[in-house]
Amino acid sequence: MKIGIVGFYALPQTYDVEMTREESVFAAAKGALKDAGLEREDIDTVVSASSDFYDGRTISSSMLIGASGAYLKDESKAEEDGLFAVLYAIQRLRTYHRTALVVAHTHSWTFNPHKVSTFMLDPLFDRQNELLNDVTLAALQANAYMHSYRVSEEDIALAALKNLENASRNPLAFRRIVGITLDEILDSEIYSTPIRELTMAPCCDGAAAVVLAREDVIEDLSLDAVWIEGVGAATDSYIRDRDLLEMNSLGIAAKKAYEMSGINNPLDEIDFAEVNERFAYQELMIYEALKLCQKGRGKYLIRSGITERDGDFPVNISGGSMGGDSIIANGLYRLIEAAKLIKRGFGEKALVHSQWGLLAQKNIVFVLRG
Amino acid sequence: MRRVAIIGCGQTKHGRRTDINQAEMVSEAVWKAIEDAGIGIEDVEAFAVGNMQGFGGIAHPEMIFSDYIGAFGKPVQRVATGGTVGGSVAQLAYYQVASGMFDVVVAVAWEKHSDSAEPGATTGLLHVAFANLSYMFKKGLDMRSFAIMGLAGAAAGISAYQAAQYMAKSGCRIDHYDMVAAKARRNAAKNKYAHLKWPDCRPEDIAKTEMLIWPMRFGHVCPASDGASAIVLASEDAIKRLKPEKPVAWILGIAAYADEEADQGESYQGTGVLDYSAQIGCILSAKKAYERAKISDPRKEVDMAEIYAPFPHQELMFSEKLGFFDEGTAWKAVEEGITEIDGDFPICPSGGVNATNAIGSSGLQRVLECALQIMKKAENHQVPKDVEVAVAHAWGGQVQFNTVTVLSDKPKRW
Repeated sequence: MKIGIVGFYALPQTYDVEMTREESVFAAAKGALKDAGLEREDIDTVVSASSDFYDGRTISSSMLIGASGAYLKDESKAEEDGLFAVLYAIQRLRTYHRTALVVAHTHSWTFNPHKVSTFMLDPLFDRQNELLNDVTLAALQANAYMHSYRVSEEDIALAALKNLENASRNPLAFRRIVGITLDEILDSEIYSTPIRELTMAPCCDGAAAVVLAREDVIEDLSLDAVWIEGVGAATDSYIRDRDLLEMNSLGIAAKKAYEMSGINNPLDEIDFAEVNERFAYQELMIYEALKLCQKGRGKYLIRSGITERDGDFPVNISGGSMGGDSIIANGLYRLIEAAKLIKRGFGEKALVHSQWGLLAQKNIVFVLRG
Repeated sequence: MRRVAIIGCGQTKHGRRTDINQAEMVSEAVWKAIEDAGIGIEDVEAFAVGNMQGFGGIAHPEMIFSDYIGAFGKPVQRVATGGTVGGSVAQLAYYQVASGMFDVVVAVAWEKHSDSAEPGATTGLLHVAFANLSYMFKKGLDMRSFAIMGLAGAAAGISAYQAAQYMAKSGCRIDHYDMVAAKARRNAAKNKYAHLKWPDCRPEDIAKTEMLIWPMRFGHVCPASDGASAIVLASEDAIKRLKPEKPVAWILGIAAYADEEADQGESYQGTGVLDYSAQIGCILSAKKAYERAKISDPRKEVDMAEIYAPFPHQELMFSEKLGFFDEGTAWKAVEEGITEIDGDFPICPSGGVNATNAIGSSGLQRVLECALQIMKKAENHQVPKDVEVAVAHAWGGQVQFNTVTVLSDKPKRW
């Protein structure tokens, strides 16, 4: 049974202490319904995505029932990236329901997301020295990657430059620096060598929603849909138990998604991609795990400009996470950007990726078709 | 949509488990379930996991022990919905299999309260309200809202209102709450995994305990336990392929309808839930789950139930909402002993949540215990009557979430 995206809406990413989470979620849900041309009554099930630690409160979904339109509906929640909520919604659509609304949000101002990363560490061993967090861990991985595959800091900055340039044209992006240069990136403040302010994603507030429906419903109501052709998800071992040079779980997730959508050569058969690179160096590793190139060759994709907005295989035309990281909503922003571009006729097939956990321990990949 | 059955169950001893850490506790339940199902870890295609992460102090704890539970390279989906979390995990796993995406899935839910400085059920639930103080301070906090928040007194406090509301509507007395609590402790004494065991506990014993907040006595309140529960779910095709030696328990239908949150609705927004004992979400969930399971008369067709009742009045209240008794009459059934382990309609023969409450585990444990009764593997607390259809319920959120799962010994009723 095929599932299609029939409506979507994303709020401009921001850092707004006046906005409540409920207001954001309400606006996103309402916008997606309007985009689909449906009413709350037409929605069978709602899956929200939020996390107690990122929200700084227990049972983060409990206050969203009114805002997300889930009141007196068969609903549930995904406590991780919004794309996992989409996965759950697909599972629900293939079982009982006809239409589903997925809504995800994070308000970074309520609880510092970098602080949450320290709570993700093993409390018995890895929290004690207070040296590890998402940024220092990324620095370890980046160093290992740079040394093993002779990747220069400039290669990483080029990936950031591409995304920041794209972000400057995206009205939904949080960090828009018009006329950004490579030197600015290489001179930006260093947080943990080689991670700089402009080579890591800025945490911000965001909320986004999508409406999904089954094929028969889409035909009955003659809705306009972007189809979900394939999906794959996988989990890696904890940071201490794995080779940081490998993105195993992304490789497995992508393989599954390619199999489902009958793709043999992603670089040829897919038109463009939206990926969640929390740190610029990760984009190169993501290329490799997605089998767009061989191991260690990600830098050539960047250097040759293939993944630029006018290249053969554009990646992150929206600016990706460099333009703003609204943690749990991030995946939905990627999905919505890809769906938008497909609807505009930019391409026929798109790949959407998001990650979860320390150093992308969990990954999820979707393949969309117009 | 495919048919789904539970083919293996595993749970840890619940109680204060300072002898093991979270990873060891969770993996113990998972591997027991896999062993019980008679399969190997290579047969498991995906995981459904959940706990209330704030209570144990680790954000997304399953990521730390993904190798312990054999999740490497496999999809792990996480859900957390408060008290319902275990029920939500079981339903997530059901959808994973019923949707045709995976053939064999492990669902695991747990809590380790002893890892937090204070019992999570108190601090955790107060945080529900506290996080919104940031907005309220900014926008102007009125005394009434502040009083509601402060005086709500977390789970036990808010449930005391519910207990009083139920008494006022049904005409039952505190003695009936004593009877239900005593039954829970007696049943728990027969269950080797339970926490608060009290063989031969009488209602008079409970009545002697201190009154905490009227109408709730100390003896009515659940403990904050540590523990994990896991089940293995498989599709009909997978069962034909795996040929489990032991009986399986089929899931006939599930539903989870959400209501408005309790204290928010009353004080600042929404439709306003004024009567916490109304539980419209539970009524709707039950109705839908029965419809999906093709059950027309739950009173006749259901044989027993595991109800999520951390406090005794909830066993009475929810047994009515789930359609087992007329509104306001469940306490009469308790007087007559109908809900006893050897009664006509046993409720919580495991001792239930009143005797063992490891938040995440509790909801899944209800499904697991129903499956054990159907498979006739409940050992000392196996009910004497034949169990063909059982109903597992969980309650959570801010007095607002309900999950209802209908299980049976046959893949379909008709």
